[in-house]
Amino acid sequence: MTAPEGLRLRVQLTKKDRARYLSHSEFSRTIMFAARRAGLPLGYAGRFRARIKLSLSPPIPIGVTSECELVDFELSGYVSPAEARQSLSDSLTEGIEIVECRLMAAGEKPVGKLIDTATYVADVPLGSRTRADWERAASEFLERASVEYVRVQPRRTRTVDLRPGVHRLEVAEEAAEEGTAKLHMTLDDGTRGTIKPWEVIEVLAGAAGSPEDAWRGARVNRQGLFARRGDRLVSPMEIGGRKPAVPRRGGRRY
Amino acid sequence: MNRIAPGDLWELLEPVLLLVERPSRYLGGEWNAPEVRSGGASVVLAYPDVYEIGISNLGLAILGEVVNEIDGARAERVYSPWVDMENEMRRAGIPLFSLETQTPVGEFDIFGISIPHELTYTNILNLMDLAGLPLRADERTEGPIVVGGGCGTANPEPLAEFFDLFALGDGEEVIGQLVGLVQRSKTEGWDRDRLLEESSRLRGVYRPSDYTVEYAADGTVKSVTPRGAAPARVSKNVVDIDRWLYPGRPIVPFCEAVHDRINVELFRGCTRGCRFCQAGMTCRPVRERSAGEVVRMVDELAGRTGHDEVSLCSLSSTDYSRIEEVARRVSEVCAHRGMIMSLPSLRMDGMSAELAARLDKGGRGGLTFAPEAGAERLRRVINKPITEDEMVEAILCSVRAGRRRIKLYFMIGLPTETEEDVEEIARLVFRLRDAVRREGLAPPSFNVSVSTFVPKSHTPFQWSPQEQMESVRAKHDVLKSTLRSRSVNLSWHDREMSEIEGFLARGDRRLADVIQRAWASGSRFDSWSERFEYSRWEEAWQAAGVDPDFYMRRERGPGEVFPWDHLDFGLDKEFLRREYERALEGACLPDCREDGCQDCGVCDALGEEPVLKTGGAGL
Repeated sequence: MTAPEGLRLRVQLTKKDRARYLSHSEFSRTIMFAARRAGLPLGYAGRFRARIKLSLSPPIPIGVTSECELVDFELSGYVSPAEARQSLSDSLTEGIEIVECRLMAAGEKPVGKLIDTATYVADVPLGSRTRADWERAASEFLERASVEYVRVQPRRTRTVDLRPGVHRLEVAEEAAEEGTAKLHMTLDDGTRGTIKPWEVIEVLAGAAGSPEDAWRGARVNRQGLFARRGDRLVSPMEIGGRKPAVPRRGGRRY
Repeated sequence: MNRIAPGDLWELLEPVLLLVERPSRYLGGEWNAPEVRSGGASVVLAYPDVYEIGISNLGLAILGEVVNEIDGARAERVYSPWVDMENEMRRAGIPLFSLETQTPVGEFDIFGISIPHELTYTNILNLMDLAGLPLRADERTEGPIVVGGGCGTANPEPLAEFFDLFALGDGEEVIGQLVGLVQRSKTEGWDRDRLLEESSRLRGVYRPSDYTVEYAADGTVKSVTPRGAAPARVSKNVVDIDRWLYPGRPIVPFCEAVHDRINVELFRGCTRGCRFCQAGMTCRPVRERSAGEVVRMVDELAGRTGHDEVSLCSLSSTDYSRIEEVARRVSEVCAHRGMIMSLPSLRMDGMSAELAARLDKGGRGGLTFAPEAGAERLRRVINKPITEDEMVEAILCSVRAGRRRIKLYFMIGLPTETEEDVEEIARLVFRLRDAVRREGLAPPSFNVSVSTFVPKSHTPFQWSPQEQMESVRAKHDVLKSTLRSRSVNLSWHDREMSEIEGFLARGDRRLADVIQRAWASGSRFDSWSERFEYSRWEEAWQAAGVDPDFYMRRERGPGEVFPWDHLDFGLDKEFLRREYERALEGACLPDCREDGCQDCGVCDALGEEPVLKTGGAGL
């Protein structure tokens, strides 16, 4: 069966447990092998050695867990989302689970070109500090016009401004686990640049006076990936469906 | 089947994972990783190199599956932790652990270590040390029995003091027998000594401490004497690979491995008799897998792994009786599944246009051939008498099939080699290039890879000295100055590494001290150029009072007793000696497939026959 031109399968996956230690390339390789084992009608590119055509959400640091990793597979034939979900689920390794599958219409932006925002929750050990120290650090951060950070990367080191890429920073009111603070972050991630959760945590820890061996123990979880539309965060699982599915008032405000 | 809950080790391990490069090396849990059961006989199979190399090892993949199919037995895996992980493990007090259940290696019943080549010896010692085991077998009174296997058992003597047992030859059958003995030892309450004693009686199992080595005044081996009931010679094991269709569920690593593909064996052994080739001698007789099984395995394994490449492996693929048929059928499976097929170990005299066209069309472009020597005379010396016409034909077939890169393997330092012979390598490469031009085709790029010949045990060249490092350097210089062309890219094997390889390859038990000193001074991953340090080895043999030239530079006497003579790979030593003399005369030995038995002695000694699957289609 031939598929309508450009039909894609969008899959939302988790990256938890042991899978959180996979690098981005290892994770994508694992997904590709799983898709081949699952027998999905995949689209291939390349003249000689065929490569699976897919688009992935922005990389996540090794060790960070995720509720929302996204992949768009280009399809060469029709498969129902339920069927795809079943066969793919049976082919995945521990810690990688399917949250949702849906078919995307032709012409919609693939996740790699769509995602610009990520939300994270971090459980930060307080050590000798208090929740109030972190709250103060967060509100000071937001009040500043710019926050300089020295970003060390394998090939270059440069100073970047974190502030414009941080859209929400909040120490939750709810009782976090004993001795930790629950930090919510909404950060640029994807087409408009990337702020890593650890960069923000490091800056806040500096302001809160938390020593490195305390804050390095934070457990960070990526909760969602979104496209910003005005002041709304729109889920890629809601937009660009086969039928027009853009929620008129959908999405979450941030 | 209950998965064993990760033990306390996981708690220690987790914080460390974020501090090391590529934590997935230490995770386990890959696709097709076995769901192991607790209790029963336990085996941990180790590869003494980093994960990406170890996971590609076919032998361990086979043995792991064989054990995990036995009721009341389990096999897990471990690889050498990379240097960063070793430091973290030592700092945090984490012992070497299995990937499947994070169980300390010291808690297993059998610690099986693959011995791939000489430059892993320090890693082997490091594995034992990280496991918390005393290095010397006679110092171990508890813990797993340490068994070595693989190619390195062709001369395991330099490691003899460190291992409890070695398994010679194919391991499929004997690993089950060892597991059976472990199970009996548990129900009958044997002590460790009894278990070793019983194990040493199995066919193909060599217990080095059962043999006493005496040395003559000139330093050579005087005698190797078995003690008690030990046999005078230990024979290797041979299995029929049509009855052992493994691996059936290869583990799919998270990361890209060195052999990132399905491997299906076409056959074991080789009848060609290239005189430098240890595997070609010690893996005899030739045993083919039937074409039908090969094709079926390719199809099944593709579905179970998701790989997009399959490699049909053997020591010389074009020698497979029905190579054209199997290549056609496998490439049909590949077309259906969107895979490519590769055939390593192609002989230039067996290459055909049809075969070239079947292989991974264009793809990553490369094909590899091994002329080994530039001069035809020298190719007769090593008994690989491929003619230049055959080489031209092979290159033309490849280029016409769309190959843009040709890799050519050569060796320098072969017996009787002159400077003229080395220059001939360059001239040959240019003649091959020009032959392509004459056909009106664009010449491919040639990657010329040059290694240094290292004489190995159980080969006709086991009597031969190894070339001095200085003269190898001079030959490299000759190649550098003569092989200058935009389309030719020259690379060579590290001279100093070849030196250590040669030193250990034909060593005896007196080298144990040298290896241990090299390890203690920090030698690890000696086959990695960024880790290898020759000076550590120099210091080690000086401190141990060992003369490396004794092991490398001597022309060994015709009647000399070798440290490995009591290990029987089926080869008649007189045959090897005759072959050495024929080599020096430049005389070839025909292939026994075509010209009848050449008296290598293997079939008689092992009670085996070559197995050729030449039967009709559809088998």
